Amino acid sequence: METLADLASPIAIGVLLGGLYVVIALGLSLVFGVMKVINVAHGDLVILGSYFAYVTSTSWGLDPILSLVVGIPLFFVMGIFIEKFLVHRAFRMSVDAALIIAFGISLIIQNAAQLVWTPLSRGLMTSYTLESLKIGDVYLPVVYLVDFAMALVVVLAVHQFLKRTYLGQAITAASQDSETAQLMGINPARVYQIAFGIAMALAAIAGVSLALTFPFTPKSGVPFLIIAFGVIILGGLGSMVGTFIGGMIFGLSQTLGGHFLGPTGQLLVPFVMVLVVLTIRPQGLFGR
Amino acid sequence: MSEEVLLRVSNIDVFYGGAQALWDVSLEVRSGEIVALAGSNGAGKSTLLKTISGVIHPAKGSIEFAGMNITKLNAYDIVAQGISQVPEGRRLFPEMTVFQNLAIGSYNGKARAKREENLTRVYELFPVLKERKDQLAKTLSGGEQQMVAIGRGLMSNPRLILIDEMSLGLSPLIVCDLFRVLHAIRARGITVLLVEQNVWQSLHEADRAYIIETGRIVLSGNALELCEEEEVREAYFGV
Ligand SMILES: Nc1ncnc2c1ncn2[C@@H]1O[C@H](COP(=O)(O)OP(=O)(O)O)[C@@H](O)[C@H]1O
Ligand SMILES: [Mg+2]
Repeated sequence: METLADLASPIAIGVLLGGLYVVIALGLSLVFGVMKVINVAHGDLVILGSYFAYVTSTSWGLDPILSLVVGIPLFFVMGIFIEKFLVHRAFRMSVDAALIIAFGISLIIQNAAQLVWTPLSRGLMTSYTLESLKIGDVYLPVVYLVDFAMALVVVLAVHQFLKRTYLGQAITAASQDSETAQLMGINPARVYQIAFGIAMALAAIAGVSLALTFPFTPKSGVPFLIIAFGVIILGGLGSMVGTFIGGMIFGLSQTLGGHFLGPTGQLLVPFVMVLVVLTIRPQGLFGR
Repeated sequence: MSEEVLLRVSNIDVFYGGAQALWDVSLEVRSGEIVALAGSNGAGKSTLLKTISGVIHPAKGSIEFAGMNITKLNAYDIVAQGISQVPEGRRLFPEMTVFQNLAIGSYNGKARAKREENLTRVYELFPVLKERKDQLAKTLSGGEQQMVAIGRGLMSNPRLILIDEMSLGLSPLIVCDLFRVLHAIRARGITVLLVEQNVWQSLHEADRAYIIETGRIVLSGNALELCEEEEVREAYFGV
């Protein structure tokens, strides 16, 4: 007989894991919001963030979370350059052309990562990797708590940035009506660069989170990209709250699916939910 | 009417791809004037405003503003020069609040410094917007949306404001109020170029007017004198 106590663990883990998905999905959602380009390289950029944490921790002995002090600005600047010199030229032709460039970037990152770091699976080992916190009867791995804490910080920070700063409001305005945004004195090309830069900084954060939680290979970006799609579809595009709740729902349905249906049900359940939401409420649970 | 010429559009041709929308259009707006550009649907009024504000660029001819050639400037750079456009259909940012819509109007560097001052003025002109400042723009009535659109245009601290089809879809009472505001705006030293399909009304509100038909300026002059013109009366008032 199933008891509520048995469910406590998958529920807690699902929510915490959802945090990681939220951070990954935010970057994808931000770029799509302003450029209407699905950045199919986003998962690979996240994995690049994981390798960045891997390199800094194995070669320099830096704590992965601390390495973000370098990682965030580095990825932000990389994002600006990628947008400016690779994506934008194609974007000026069409959104489809930009999509193809994103595919190209995805393939290049995957193959370059195989060359540099081999196709072997990597993971991060820190002093807290195997630690757990015991709350009641539930053991919560510290890395999952870290994922969730980072998600909270990131969501609040991005939310405040978008709402309270001129640049954030410019991004918001441009994603709602880019022609009118120009009439406000906003240069859309600059907004695209900044949005891409922020998405890359988010990829760096997500990459660290991911590497702390799961082993990864050069190809791991693809499944996480698809999960991020699911999160965005569940929550609704353009809604921070939606993305957050979408991530939680995705994480929860994954762990509960695993609990009731075994490992094969893990991803089946969340994607069935995505399909149901797409059918009943195509704009997502919190979409406009 | 001996004021300096603030805006001078000289002999512009404008194309959308291969299709020509404006032919050899010239127009002048002097400091402190209210100038109307009137003409029927599809005549090219919005095209002319968009060309002035730099959203599209002319194939031929030039546009000068305050003595500076702005023909090739981008829309987002022209705002800082002092031209603000209130677009057709209001085009508010629907998911942003009234306050956020107004505040983003002051995005350009020069306007940021004057944001609080301009915000106070906008709330003076439209007190209802202060009451509704935290409401999402999409939830406002048409008249209120037009107020936000005009207010947002004023937040960029313009010398010249271009207003496209302000009265479209609004009740006569609200339109009357909005015209009163335009006169108040002008009294504060802001020059107004307004576009209307309603030739009769715009001629009565403006100092001078241009009448545009199928991409060409066909008549221009003192607004009240134009009202008396035989051609105008026949073509637009049906008398
Ligand atoms: N984006 C566009 N692409 C192609 N043709 C356009 C576009 N916008 C307007 N036009 C054409 O240009 C002409 C003038 O349009 P417009 O300036 O919008 O007229 P008005 O504002 O006077 O109603 C019309 O024939 C219209 O079909
Ligand atoms: Mg028009």
